[in-house]
Amino acid sequence: MTAGALAAGVLTIVEAGSTQITDLGRTRGPRYGVPVNGALDQRSARVANILVGNPDGAPLLEITALDLEFVADVDILIAVAGADGHLTVDGVGRPSNEPVSVCAGETVALRQLQGGLRAYLAVRGSFEVPLLLGSCAPDSVLGFGGRLVAGSEIALRSATAPIFNDHFTAELYSLDVPRVASGFIVDVTDGPDIEDFADTVARLFEQPYLVTPTSNHIGLRMTGPLPQRRTTGEVLSRGVPVGAVEVPPGDELLVLHRGRGVTAGYPVLAVVTSGSLDVLAQVRPGQRLRFRPVTAAEAAARARAELVELDTLRRRVRSVFAALDALSTPPTGRTLP
Amino acid sequence: MAPASVVISPSGTSAVRVASALSDREAGWRLVHHLARFVDAARVPGVVCVIPTYDAALIEVDPAEVSLERLGDYLAQVVEGLDHDRPLTLTPRTFDVPVLYDLDGELDLRTVAEAQGLSVQEIVRLHSDPTYVVRCLGAPGGSPMLDGPPFPHPVPRLASPRAHVPQGVVSVAGRQATITPAAAPGGWPLIGRTPLVVLDLAAEPFVPYEPGDLVRFRPIDRDEYESLLGTRMVAR
Repeated sequence: MTAGALAAGVLTIVEAGSTQITDLGRTRGPRYGVPVNGALDQRSARVANILVGNPDGAPLLEITALDLEFVADVDILIAVAGADGHLTVDGVGRPSNEPVSVCAGETVALRQLQGGLRAYLAVRGSFEVPLLLGSCAPDSVLGFGGRLVAGSEIALRSATAPIFNDHFTAELYSLDVPRVASGFIVDVTDGPDIEDFADTVARLFEQPYLVTPTSNHIGLRMTGPLPQRRTTGEVLSRGVPVGAVEVPPGDELLVLHRGRGVTAGYPVLAVVTSGSLDVLAQVRPGQRLRFRPVTAAEAAARARAELVELDTLRRRVRSVFAALDALSTPPTGRTLP
Repeated sequence: MAPASVVISPSGTSAVRVASALSDREAGWRLVHHLARFVDAARVPGVVCVIPTYDAALIEVDPAEVSLERLGDYLAQVVEGLDHDRPLTLTPRTFDVPVLYDLDGELDLRTVAEAQGLSVQEIVRLHSDPTYVVRCLGAPGGSPMLDGPPFPHPVPRLASPRAHVPQGVVSVAGRQATITPAAAPGGWPLIGRTPLVVLDLAAEPFVPYEPGDLVRFRPIDRDEYESLLGTRMVAR
């Protein structure tokens, strides 16, 4: 990847770990048989972008499990959300879930992700990256996009002069990002084919499931009590929703995530709620999770509450930036008086 | 009152499945595709994407913008106004697909033949004889989803799916058949390979056919396969 000559700056990856550039997904894809993909923890990706004043769907970095280190040749404003990690700028610890100014040439590192699997790092102004059907999200099947490597250069759309100085303390930026409840509880609503599984559906809620290492962005595989399809007969391929809980042949439960093939021929027992898909994005292989049945109304109420939280955060960030005059910052270095 | 022509059911909190309840499969297929086109064209607020298949359409929504109940009511009304006798395409295009059938036993052709109680040659004949209708675009990568060849029995899926199925393979499962435009894992038995390149990421959509177009398979030998390798798939 070569950064464009017309970019406002270049971000160079020093240590890539398992990081890719993504966004909220390719919503036009499924119509053409292509999965939506995009950030697996949608909420954390939105939070990271909101914290730097970007549109929710702006391209950003998705960091999975491993350490990331990079350096930019212009001043930038970044924010990290998602799994907890140790964020440093030139070796000095900086907070996650807050906007953090980084000066040109300073080394940014995110290490020791824990309590979750994926973190999201947004840069104010975002990146100039190729799009496919309107999205930069990598698609492993189509061979579009992919993981960054040491030396990858990412074109920055804008530079942001430092907005921190001696007069402002970190408290100003205590933006109060709403925390997600800990513990891996995954809410599901009834799937369209739940009747095919008759009385075996209850098994889904009896015991925790152990997530196995073959899990990825396409789907999570887990061992535990398996509901059984009680009907027979040929099933035609149909569109399957992200979050579909299926029981394919074998001894594992399959929960489809955003990289799922858009059509499949397995009956759908249950469907993970959008909020709990974010929980699944943070579960590591070897960890256990529990399913919890919720009604559609409960799930909708929770989704609405989450939207309100994000709206509140967006407003708070906007007012902080307005107060700092950050929105009109010229593209060259300038520290607020 | 006439029986409803579709069954509308929530498919999680962000999608609705509209399944045909018509006894005529062709009419049901046309109905769900007309519905998909209507919803696409109408730019219904809150609708993110429509995935029409053989007998159903999955309609993905942003639940913050539209409730599944209201959307269901709306879709039921739309369905009432659709003419499921109207053809999807007045002038379907035909795609000729040369296939090197798996006569050397590298893939699953022999297993498929044995399960049907037929010879390998009969399987090739039955697969390459019909003109297929592209029923929908599916996974992976916009595969042309077809009806199965007129085999006596449905084709069992592989007991354990392959981790890597290369692009261009021709496969069958149940009462379905397809060509795989992009390499992906897969559980369908593979009976041959086409030398044609199906996927073109510079185009939108990435594949040259659309639902309602026609596909014909033509057996070729290895020499012809080699000479056609990399040719783009185009209509007649």
